[in-house]
Amino acid sequence: MNSRAVTTDILLGIVPIALMIALWQALVSFGYAPPALLPPPGLVFTRLAQQLFTTTYQQEIAATLFRLFAGFSIAVLLGVSIGLAAAASPAINAVVRPIVRVLAPLPKVALYPALLLLLGFNHQSKIMLVAADALFPILLSTYYGASMVEQKLIWSAMAAGTPRRQILFKVVLPAAVPSILTGCRIGLVISCIVVFLAEMITSTDGLGHVLVTAARTFQAVDMFVPLITISLLGLILNGLLEGLRNYLLRGFPEV
Amino acid sequence: MTVIRAFVSRSAPLMACLGLLAIWQVAALMLKTDSFPGAWEAIKAIPSILGDQESLINILASIRRMAIGFSVAVLVSIPLGLMMGRSRAVASFFNPLLMITYPVPKAALMPIILLWLGVGDIAKMLVIFLGVSLPVIYHSFQGAKAIEEKMLWSGAAMGLSAAQRMIRIVLPAALPEILTGCRTGLVLALITMVTSEMIARQSGAGNILFNALDMGQYDTVYAMIIIIGAMGIGLDAAFERLRARLVRWSEPGFEIPLSFA
Repeated sequence: MNSRAVTTDILLGIVPIALMIALWQALVSFGYAPPALLPPPGLVFTRLAQQLFTTTYQQEIAATLFRLFAGFSIAVLLGVSIGLAAAASPAINAVVRPIVRVLAPLPKVALYPALLLLLGFNHQSKIMLVAADALFPILLSTYYGASMVEQKLIWSAMAAGTPRRQILFKVVLPAAVPSILTGCRIGLVISCIVVFLAEMITSTDGLGHVLVTAARTFQAVDMFVPLITISLLGLILNGLLEGLRNYLLRGFPEV
Repeated sequence: MTVIRAFVSRSAPLMACLGLLAIWQVAALMLKTDSFPGAWEAIKAIPSILGDQESLINILASIRRMAIGFSVAVLVSIPLGLMMGRSRAVASFFNPLLMITYPVPKAALMPIILLWLGVGDIAKMLVIFLGVSLPVIYHSFQGAKAIEEKMLWSGAAMGLSAAQRMIRIVLPAALPEILTGCRTGLVLALITMVTSEMIARQSGAGNILFNALDMGQYDTVYAMIIIIGAMGIGLDAAFERLRARLVRWSEPGFEIPLSFA
Protein backbone atom coordinates (compact mmCIF):
# COMPACT_ATOMS: atom_id res chain seq x y z
CA MET A 1 0.00 0.00 0.00
CA ASN A 2 2.66 2.42 1.08
CA SER A 3 5.03 1.56 -1.72
CA ARG A 4 2.17 1.92 -4.17
CA ALA A 5 1.45 5.42 -2.88
CA VAL A 6 5.11 6.29 -3.37
CA THR A 7 5.04 5.01 -6.96
CA THR A 8 1.97 7.13 -7.67
CA ASP A 9 3.79 10.13 -6.20
CA ILE A 10 6.78 9.57 -8.44
CA LEU A 11 4.56 9.09 -11.50
CA LEU A 12 2.63 12.25 -10.69
CA GLY A 13 5.90 14.12 -10.24
CA ILE A 14 7.24 13.06 -13.62
CA VAL A 15 4.13 14.40 -15.36
CA PRO A 16 4.89 18.16 -15.20
CA ILE A 17 8.53 17.61 -16.18
CA ALA A 18 7.49 15.44 -19.11
CA LEU A 19 4.84 17.99 -20.05
CA MET A 20 7.40 20.76 -19.97
CA ILE A 21 9.78 18.87 -22.23
CA ALA A 22 6.90 17.94 -24.55
CA LEU A 23 5.83 21.58 -24.73
CA TRP A 24 9.43 22.55 -25.41
CA GLN A 25 9.65 20.00 -28.22
CA ALA A 26 6.27 21.06 -29.59
CA LEU A 27 7.26 24.73 -29.67
CA VAL A 28 10.26 23.82 -31.81
CA SER A 29 8.63 21.22 -34.05
CA PHE A 30 5.58 23.30 -34.88
CA GLY A 31 7.76 26.23 -35.73
CA TYR A 32 6.60 28.63 -33.01
CA ALA A 33 10.18 29.15 -31.91
CA PRO A 34 13.11 29.17 -34.32
CA PRO A 35 15.75 26.57 -33.34
CA ALA A 36 18.31 29.35 -33.07
CA LEU A 37 16.40 30.76 -30.08
CA LEU A 38 15.06 27.54 -28.62
CA PRO A 39 17.01 24.45 -29.61
CA PRO A 40 15.05 21.17 -29.42
CA PRO A 41 15.48 19.26 -26.13
CA GLY A 42 17.04 16.24 -27.84
CA LEU A 43 19.84 18.39 -29.19
CA VAL A 44 20.43 20.02 -25.79
CA PHE A 45 20.63 16.70 -23.96
CA THR A 46 22.95 15.05 -26.51
CA ARG A 47 25.14 18.14 -26.35
CA LEU A 48 25.14 17.88 -22.53
CA ALA A 49 26.13 14.20 -22.73
CA GLN A 50 28.94 15.01 -25.18
CA GLN A 51 30.21 17.91 -23.09
CA LEU A 52 30.26 15.92 -19.86
CA PHE A 53 32.94 13.66 -21.33
CA THR A 54 35.26 16.39 -22.60
CA THR A 55 38.12 17.43 -20.33
CA THR A 56 37.59 21.15 -20.87
CA TYR A 57 34.02 20.94 -19.65
CA GLN A 58 35.06 18.76 -16.73
CA GLN A 59 37.61 21.40 -15.79
CA GLU A 60 34.91 24.08 -15.84
CA ILE A 61 32.78 21.94 -13.53
CA ALA A 62 35.80 21.36 -11.27
CA ALA A 63 36.48 25.10 -11.04
CA THR A 64 32.86 25.79 -10.12
CA LEU A 65 32.75 22.97 -7.59
CA PHE A 66 36.00 24.10 -5.96
CA ARG A 67 34.67 27.65 -5.43
CA LEU A 68 31.34 26.31 -4.27
CA PHE A 69 32.87 23.99 -1.67
CA ALA A 70 35.45 26.47 -0.45
CA GLY A 71 32.84 29.18 0.06
CA PHE A 72 30.29 26.82 1.53
CA SER A 73 32.79 25.34 4.02
CA ILE A 74 33.82 28.79 5.22
CA ALA A 75 30.15 29.67 5.63
CA VAL A 76 29.42 26.48 7.61
CA LEU A 77 32.42 26.92 9.91
CA LEU A 78 31.74 30.59 10.61
CA GLY A 79 27.97 30.24 10.72
CA VAL A 80 27.91 27.34 13.16
CA SER A 81 30.52 28.81 15.49
CA ILE A 82 29.08 32.32 15.55
CA GLY A 83 25.55 30.96 15.88
CA LEU A 84 26.51 28.73 18.81
CA ALA A 85 28.48 31.50 20.50
CA ALA A 86 25.56 33.92 20.12
CA ALA A 87 23.16 31.38 21.59
CA ALA A 88 25.46 30.59 24.48
CA SER A 89 26.53 34.02 25.63
CA PRO A 90 24.22 37.03 26.03
CA ALA A 91 27.18 39.38 25.60
CA ILE A 92 28.15 37.98 22.20
CA ASN A 93 24.48 37.87 21.31
CA ALA A 94 24.12 41.58 22.01
CA VAL A 95 26.95 42.33 19.58
CA VAL A 96 26.10 39.78 16.89
CA ARG A 97 22.36 40.30 16.69
CA PRO A 98 22.30 43.91 15.42
CA ILE A 99 25.16 43.24 13.00
CA VAL A 100 23.33 40.23 11.58
CA ARG A 101 20.12 42.23 11.35
CA VAL A 102 21.90 44.80 9.24
CA LEU A 103 23.98 42.44 7.09
CA ALA A 104 21.50 39.60 6.50
CA PRO A 105 19.04 41.50 4.26
CA LEU A 106 21.85 43.23 2.37
CA PRO A 107 21.98 41.98 -1.23
CA LYS A 108 25.44 40.44 -1.24
CA VAL A 109 25.76 40.55 -5.04
CA ALA A 110 25.99 44.31 -4.72
CA LEU A 111 29.10 43.77 -2.62
CA TYR A 112 30.73 41.81 -5.40
CA PRO A 113 32.29 44.83 -7.14
CA ALA A 114 33.93 45.77 -3.84
CA LEU A 115 35.20 42.21 -3.37
CA LEU A 116 36.54 42.25 -6.92
CA LEU A 117 38.42 45.47 -6.33
CA LEU A 118 39.81 44.24 -3.02
CA LEU A 119 40.57 40.60 -3.75
CA GLY A 120 41.12 40.56 -7.49
CA PHE A 121 39.51 38.55 -10.24
CA ASN A 122 40.71 35.16 -9.03
CA HIS A 123 39.15 32.52 -6.85
CA GLN A 124 39.19 34.60 -3.64
CA SER A 125 36.54 37.15 -4.57
CA LYS A 126 34.10 34.45 -5.74
CA ILE A 127 34.71 32.25 -2.71
CA MET A 128 34.16 35.23 -0.43
CA LEU A 129 30.88 36.07 -2.18
CA VAL A 130 29.64 32.49 -1.84
CA ALA A 131 30.66 32.43 1.82
CA ALA A 132 28.99 35.78 2.52
CA ASP A 133 25.74 34.66 0.92
CA ALA A 134 25.59 31.18 2.46
CA LEU A 135 26.67 32.38 5.90
CA PHE A 136 23.46 33.98 7.13
CA PRO A 137 20.95 31.16 6.65
CA ILE A 138 23.37 28.79 8.39
CA LEU A 139 24.13 31.25 11.17
CA LEU A 140 20.48 32.03 11.83
CA SER A 141 19.30 28.44 11.84
CA THR A 142 22.18 27.42 14.12
CA TYR A 143 21.26 30.23 16.46
CA TYR A 144 17.57 29.33 16.49
CA GLY A 145 18.33 25.64 16.87
CA ALA A 146 20.73 26.24 19.73
CA SER A 147 18.44 28.63 21.57
CA MET A 148 15.48 26.25 21.28
CA VAL A 149 17.34 23.51 23.16
CA GLU A 150 15.24 22.41 26.09
CA GLN A 151 16.50 23.87 29.32
CA LYS A 152 15.75 20.56 31.04
CA LEU A 153 18.36 18.81 28.92
CA ILE A 154 20.98 21.30 30.04
CA TRP A 155 19.90 21.02 33.67
CA SER A 156 20.08 17.23 33.59
CA ALA A 157 23.51 17.33 31.96
CA MET A 158 24.68 19.71 34.65
CA ALA A 159 23.16 17.56 37.37
CA ALA A 160 24.96 14.57 35.87
CA GLY A 161 28.19 16.47 36.35
CA THR A 162 29.01 17.70 32.84
CA PRO A 163 31.35 20.68 33.09
CA ARG A 164 29.87 23.92 31.82
CA ARG A 165 32.35 24.19 28.99
CA GLN A 166 31.41 20.81 27.59
CA ILE A 167 27.67 21.40 27.70
CA LEU A 168 27.94 23.43 24.53
CA PHE A 169 29.48 20.55 22.60
CA LYS A 170 27.82 17.62 24.32
CA VAL A 171 24.27 18.90 24.64
CA VAL A 172 23.59 22.08 22.69
CA LEU A 173 25.42 21.26 19.47
CA PRO A 174 23.92 17.77 18.97
CA ALA A 175 20.47 19.04 19.85
CA ALA A 176 20.81 21.83 17.30
CA VAL A 177 22.01 19.55 14.49
CA PRO A 178 18.61 19.16 12.74
CA SER A 179 18.19 22.92 12.57
CA ILE A 180 21.82 23.43 11.49
CA LEU A 181 21.36 20.93 8.66
CA THR A 182 18.24 22.74 7.47
CA GLY A 183 20.29 25.93 7.34
CA CYS A 184 23.07 24.12 5.46
CA ARG A 185 20.57 22.94 2.89
CA ILE A 186 19.38 26.47 2.21
CA GLY A 187 23.00 27.64 2.22
CA LEU A 188 23.96 24.98 -0.31
CA VAL A 189 21.28 26.01 -2.80
CA ILE A 190 22.28 29.64 -2.35
CA SER A 191 25.94 28.69 -2.92
CA CYS A 192 25.04 26.99 -6.20
CA ILE A 193 23.20 30.10 -7.35
CA VAL A 194 25.82 32.59 -6.22
CA VAL A 195 28.86 30.79 -7.57
CA PHE A 196 27.19 30.68 -10.97
CA LEU A 197 26.32 34.37 -10.86
CA ALA A 198 29.82 35.37 -9.76
CA GLU A 199 31.27 33.42 -12.65
CA MET A 200 28.86 35.09 -15.02
CA ILE A 201 29.93 38.55 -13.91
CA THR A 202 33.68 38.12 -14.24
CA SER A 203 35.49 34.92 -14.80
CA THR A 204 37.69 33.05 -17.19
CA ASP A 205 36.44 29.59 -16.26
CA GLY A 206 33.56 27.83 -14.58
CA LEU A 207 30.00 27.03 -15.64
CA GLY A 208 28.83 30.62 -15.43
CA HIS A 209 31.56 31.62 -17.81
CA VAL A 210 30.47 28.91 -20.27
CA LEU A 211 26.97 30.39 -20.25
CA VAL A 212 28.17 33.95 -20.82
CA THR A 213 30.48 32.92 -23.66
CA ALA A 214 27.65 31.02 -25.31
CA ALA A 215 25.32 34.00 -24.87
CA ARG A 216 27.82 36.37 -26.45
CA THR A 217 28.20 34.14 -29.49
CA PHE A 218 24.47 33.32 -29.67
CA GLN A 219 25.00 29.58 -29.26
CA ALA A 220 21.61 28.80 -27.78
CA VAL A 221 22.40 25.10 -27.29
CA ASP A 222 25.48 25.85 -25.22
CA MET A 223 23.47 28.24 -23.07
CA PHE A 224 21.16 25.48 -21.90
CA VAL A 225 23.96 23.00 -21.15
CA PRO A 226 25.54 24.82 -18.15
CA LEU A 227 22.09 25.61 -16.76
CA ILE A 228 21.11 21.94 -16.79
CA THR A 229 24.50 21.05 -15.34
CA ILE A 230 24.12 23.41 -12.37
CA SER A 231 20.62 22.08 -11.77
CA LEU A 232 21.97 18.50 -11.75
CA LEU A 233 24.85 19.52 -9.47
CA GLY A 234 22.36 21.10 -7.09
CA LEU A 235 20.25 17.94 -7.07
CA ILE A 236 23.28 15.69 -6.46
CA LEU A 237 24.66 17.89 -3.67
CA ASN A 238 21.21 18.09 -2.10
CA GLY A 239 20.98 14.30 -2.23
CA LEU A 240 24.40 13.97 -0.57
CA LEU A 241 23.37 16.37 2.17
CA GLU A 242 20.16 14.41 2.65
CA GLY A 243 22.25 11.24 3.06
CA LEU A 244 24.47 12.98 5.60
CA ARG A 245 21.38 14.16 7.42
CA ASN A 246 19.95 10.65 7.60
CA TYR A 247 23.28 9.38 8.88
CA LEU A 248 23.74 12.10 11.49
CA LEU A 249 20.14 12.02 12.67
CA ARG A 250 19.77 8.24 12.75
CA GLY A 251 19.01 8.24 16.48
CA PHE A 252 16.62 11.19 16.36
CA PRO A 253 12.86 10.89 16.32
CA GLU A 254 11.37 11.84 12.95
CA VAL A 255 11.83 15.58 12.44
CA MET B 1 15.94 51.33 33.40
CA THR B 2 13.56 49.68 30.94
CA VAL B 3 13.45 52.90 28.94
CA ILE B 4 17.21 52.83 28.56
CA ARG B 5 17.15 49.18 27.62
CA ALA B 6 14.43 49.76 25.03
CA PHE B 7 16.41 52.66 23.62
CA VAL B 8 19.56 50.55 23.39
CA SER B 9 17.80 47.64 21.70
CA ARG B 10 16.07 49.93 19.25
CA SER B 11 19.19 51.80 18.28
CA ALA B 12 21.37 48.68 18.14
CA PRO B 13 20.98 48.12 14.36
CA LEU B 14 21.83 51.78 13.78
CA MET B 15 24.90 51.43 15.98
CA ALA B 16 25.86 48.31 14.03
CA CYS B 17 25.58 50.28 10.76
CA LEU B 18 27.76 53.04 12.13
CA GLY B 19 30.24 50.52 13.49
CA LEU B 20 30.53 48.74 10.15
CA LEU B 21 31.02 52.04 8.33
CA ALA B 22 33.70 52.98 10.87
CA ILE B 23 35.52 49.67 10.34
CA TRP B 24 35.34 50.27 6.59
CA GLN B 25 36.79 53.78 6.99
CA VAL B 26 39.66 52.51 9.15
CA ALA B 27 40.41 49.67 6.74
CA ALA B 28 40.44 52.09 3.81
CA LEU B 29 42.81 54.41 5.63
CA MET B 30 45.11 51.50 6.37
CA LEU B 31 45.07 50.02 2.86
CA LYS B 32 45.34 53.34 1.03
CA THR B 33 44.58 52.08 -2.47
CA ASP B 34 42.68 53.96 -5.15
CA SER B 35 40.20 51.17 -5.65
CA PHE B 36 39.08 51.20 -2.02
CA PRO B 37 37.87 54.63 -0.96
CA GLY B 38 36.77 55.20 2.60
CA ALA B 39 33.18 55.11 3.79
CA TRP B 40 33.11 58.88 4.06
CA GLU B 41 34.01 59.44 0.39
CA ALA B 42 31.40 56.89 -0.66
CA ILE B 43 28.74 58.60 1.42
CA LYS B 44 29.76 61.96 -0.05
CA ALA B 45 29.13 60.55 -3.54
CA ILE B 46 25.55 59.53 -2.70
CA PRO B 47 23.88 62.99 -3.03
CA SER B 48 25.33 63.50 -6.50
CA ILE B 49 23.85 60.16 -7.63
CA LEU B 50 20.46 60.75 -6.05
CA GLY B 51 20.47 64.35 -7.25
CA ASP B 52 21.09 63.32 -10.84
CA GLN B 53 17.72 63.00 -12.53
CA GLU B 54 18.73 60.19 -14.86
CA SER B 55 20.10 57.92 -12.17
CA LEU B 56 17.12 58.66 -9.95
CA ILE B 57 14.78 57.59 -12.76
CA ASN B 58 16.93 54.48 -13.20
CA ILE B 59 16.71 53.55 -9.54
CA LEU B 60 12.97 54.19 -9.42
CA ALA B 61 12.52 52.01 -12.51
CA SER B 62 14.38 49.24 -10.69
CA ILE B 63 12.13 49.56 -7.68
CA ARG B 64 9.01 49.51 -9.87
CA ARG B 65 10.10 46.34 -11.65
CA MET B 66 10.93 44.72 -8.35
CA ALA B 67 7.59 45.67 -6.82
CA ILE B 68 5.61 44.29 -9.76
CA GLY B 69 7.62 41.08 -10.01
CA PHE B 70 7.40 40.53 -6.26
CA SER B 71 3.64 41.15 -5.98
CA VAL B 72 2.73 38.94 -8.92
CA ALA B 73 4.96 36.18 -7.54
CA VAL B 74 3.37 36.41 -4.08
CA LEU B 75 -0.15 36.40 -5.51
CA VAL B 76 0.52 33.27 -7.56
CA SER B 77 2.74 31.39 -5.12
CA ILE B 78 0.69 31.58 -1.92
CA PRO B 79 -2.41 29.81 -3.35
CA LEU B 80 -0.20 27.24 -5.08
CA GLY B 81 1.81 26.57 -1.92
CA LEU B 82 -1.31 26.28 0.22
CA MET B 83 -2.89 23.83 -2.21
CA MET B 84 0.29 21.79 -2.24
CA GLY B 85 0.20 21.71 1.54
CA ARG B 86 -3.38 20.48 1.68
CA SER B 87 -3.44 18.00 -1.17
CA ARG B 88 -0.97 15.18 -1.52
CA ALA B 89 -1.62 14.85 -5.25
CA VAL B 90 -0.90 18.53 -5.94
CA ALA B 91 2.25 18.32 -3.82
CA SER B 92 3.66 15.30 -5.59
CA PHE B 93 2.75 16.89 -8.91
CA PHE B 94 4.76 20.04 -8.36
CA ASN B 95 7.51 18.97 -5.95
CA PRO B 96 10.00 17.39 -8.40
CA LEU B 97 9.65 20.31 -10.78
CA LEU B 98 10.41 22.73 -7.96
CA MET B 99 13.35 20.62 -6.79
CA ILE B 100 14.90 20.71 -10.24
CA THR B 101 14.43 24.43 -10.67
CA TYR B 102 15.54 25.42 -7.17
CA PRO B 103 19.34 25.30 -7.64
CA VAL B 104 19.19 27.04 -11.02
CA PRO B 105 20.19 30.67 -10.59
CA LYS B 106 17.19 32.57 -11.92
CA ALA B 107 19.30 35.47 -13.09
CA ALA B 108 21.27 33.00 -15.21
CA LEU B 109 18.11 32.44 -17.24
CA MET B 110 18.37 36.10 -18.16
CA PRO B 111 20.46 35.62 -21.34
CA ILE B 112 17.96 33.07 -22.65
CA ILE B 113 14.91 35.12 -21.70
CA LEU B 114 16.55 38.12 -23.31
CA LEU B 115 16.71 36.22 -26.58
CA TRP B 116 12.97 35.66 -26.44
CA LEU B 117 11.57 38.80 -24.91
CA GLY B 118 14.19 41.40 -25.70
CA VAL B 119 15.88 43.83 -23.30
CA GLY B 120 12.70 45.16 -21.81
CA ASP B 121 10.96 45.43 -18.48
CA ILE B 122 9.11 42.16 -19.05
CA ALA B 123 12.26 40.03 -19.16
CA LYS B 124 13.50 41.50 -15.89
CA MET B 125 10.16 41.24 -14.16
CA LEU B 126 9.83 37.63 -15.27
CA VAL B 127 13.22 36.79 -13.77
CA ILE B 128 12.31 38.51 -10.49
CA PHE B 129 9.00 36.65 -10.49
CA LEU B 130 10.81 33.32 -10.89
CA GLY B 131 13.30 34.16 -8.15
CA VAL B 132 10.66 35.19 -5.62
CA SER B 133 8.08 32.49 -6.25
CA LEU B 134 10.15 29.46 -5.15
CA PRO B 135 10.76 30.40 -1.49
CA VAL B 136 7.20 31.70 -1.14
CA ILE B 137 5.75 28.46 -2.54
CA TYR B 138 8.02 26.40 -0.32
CA HIS B 139 7.15 28.22 2.89
CA SER B 140 3.41 28.35 2.14
CA PHE B 141 3.60 24.61 1.48
CA GLN B 142 5.32 23.95 4.80
CA GLY B 143 2.92 26.24 6.64
CA ALA B 144 -0.18 24.62 5.17
CA LYS B 145 1.16 21.13 5.83
CA ALA B 146 1.71 21.79 9.53
CA ILE B 147 -1.90 22.75 10.26
CA GLU B 148 -3.73 20.75 12.88
CA GLU B 149 -6.30 18.54 11.20
CA LYS B 150 -8.73 19.05 14.06
CA MET B 151 -9.23 22.68 13.12
CA LEU B 152 -10.13 21.70 9.59
CA TRP B 153 -12.47 18.99 10.84
CA SER B 154 -14.29 21.39 13.12
CA GLY B 155 -14.49 23.87 10.28
CA ALA B 156 -16.02 21.22 8.05
CA ALA B 157 -18.40 20.15 10.84
CA MET B 158 -19.58 23.73 11.16
CA GLY B 159 -20.41 23.77 7.48
CA LEU B 160 -17.52 25.58 5.85
CA SER B 161 -16.94 24.62 2.24
CA ALA B 162 -13.47 23.58 1.06
CA ALA B 163 -12.74 27.02 -0.38
CA GLN B 164 -13.95 28.73 2.79
CA ARG B 165 -11.77 26.44 4.92
CA MET B 166 -8.82 27.39 2.77
CA ILE B 167 -9.36 31.11 3.30
CA ARG B 168 -10.65 31.15 6.87
CA ILE B 169 -8.49 28.41 8.44
CA VAL B 170 -5.51 27.41 6.31
CA LEU B 171 -4.45 30.88 5.21
CA PRO B 172 -4.40 32.49 8.69
CA ALA B 173 -2.79 29.45 10.31
CA ALA B 174 -0.04 29.33 7.71
CA LEU B 175 0.45 33.10 7.70
CA PRO B 176 3.56 33.25 9.93
CA GLU B 177 5.32 30.72 7.73
CA ILE B 178 4.11 32.44 4.54
CA LEU B 179 5.46 35.75 5.74
CA THR B 180 8.85 34.17 6.47
CA GLY B 181 8.86 33.03 2.86
CA CYS B 182 7.88 36.50 1.65
CA ARG B 183 10.74 37.99 3.64
CA THR B 184 13.24 35.66 1.99
CA GLY B 185 11.56 36.44 -1.32
CA LEU B 186 11.98 40.16 -0.76
CA VAL B 187 15.74 39.84 -0.32
CA LEU B 188 15.90 37.53 -3.33
CA ALA B 189 13.91 40.02 -5.39
CA LEU B 190 16.51 42.66 -4.66
CA ILE B 191 19.37 40.31 -5.54
CA THR B 192 17.71 39.22 -8.78
CA MET B 193 16.94 42.83 -9.63
CA VAL B 194 20.59 43.83 -9.33
CA THR B 195 21.91 40.83 -11.26
CA SER B 196 19.32 41.02 -14.02
CA GLU B 197 20.23 44.64 -14.61
CA MET B 198 23.87 43.75 -14.54
CA ILE B 199 23.33 41.24 -17.35
CA ALA B 200 20.99 43.39 -19.42
CA ARG B 201 22.80 46.70 -19.08
CA GLN B 202 20.03 48.99 -20.09
CA SER B 203 18.68 50.77 -17.07
CA GLY B 204 18.40 50.41 -13.34
CA ALA B 205 20.47 50.45 -10.19
CA GLY B 206 22.52 47.37 -11.12
CA ASN B 207 23.39 49.02 -14.41
CA ILE B 208 24.77 52.13 -12.68
CA LEU B 209 26.77 49.97 -10.27
CA PHE B 210 28.47 47.76 -12.83
CA ASN B 211 28.99 50.53 -15.39
CA ALA B 212 30.78 52.54 -12.72
CA LEU B 213 32.90 49.47 -11.96
CA ASP B 214 33.85 49.10 -15.62
CA MET B 215 34.70 52.77 -15.92
CA GLY B 216 36.72 52.81 -12.72
CA GLN B 217 34.53 55.36 -10.91
CA TYR B 218 35.19 53.79 -7.56
CA ASP B 219 33.35 56.21 -5.33
CA THR B 220 30.20 55.72 -7.43
CA VAL B 221 30.63 51.94 -7.08
CA TYR B 222 30.76 52.13 -3.31
CA ALA B 223 28.03 54.75 -3.12
CA MET B 224 25.73 52.47 -5.16
CA ILE B 225 26.61 49.58 -2.85
CA ILE B 226 25.50 51.71 0.09
CA ILE B 227 22.29 52.74 -1.71
CA ILE B 228 21.36 49.16 -2.68
CA GLY B 229 22.31 47.92 0.78
CA ALA B 230 20.17 50.60 2.39
CA MET B 231 17.27 49.56 0.15
CA GLY B 232 17.66 45.97 1.36
CA ILE B 233 17.84 46.90 5.01
CA GLY B 234 14.98 49.40 4.73
CA LEU B 235 12.66 46.99 2.91
CA ASP B 236 13.47 44.22 5.37
CA ALA B 237 12.80 46.45 8.37
CA ALA B 238 9.51 47.67 6.89
CA PHE B 239 8.42 44.14 6.13
CA GLU B 240 9.38 42.98 9.61
CA ARG B 241 7.17 45.71 11.06
CA LEU B 242 4.26 44.62 8.85
CA ARG B 243 4.83 41.00 9.81
CA ALA B 244 4.87 41.80 13.51
CA ARG B 245 1.53 43.59 13.09
CA LEU B 246 -0.12 40.83 11.05
CA VAL B 247 0.93 37.87 13.19
CA ARG B 248 1.17 39.41 16.61
CA TRP B 249 -0.54 36.30 18.01
CA SER B 250 2.24 33.93 17.05
CA GLU B 251 4.99 34.46 19.59
CA PRO B 252 8.40 33.61 18.18
CA GLY B 253 10.08 31.36 20.73
CA PHE B 254 13.66 32.26 19.96
CA GLU B 255 13.83 35.81 21.22
CA ILE B 256 15.24 34.76 24.59
CA PRO B 257 18.93 33.86 24.60
CA LEU B 258 19.77 30.51 26.09
CA SER B 259 21.09 30.65 29.61
CA PHE B 260 23.35 28.12 31.23
CA ALA B 261 22.55 29.13 34.77
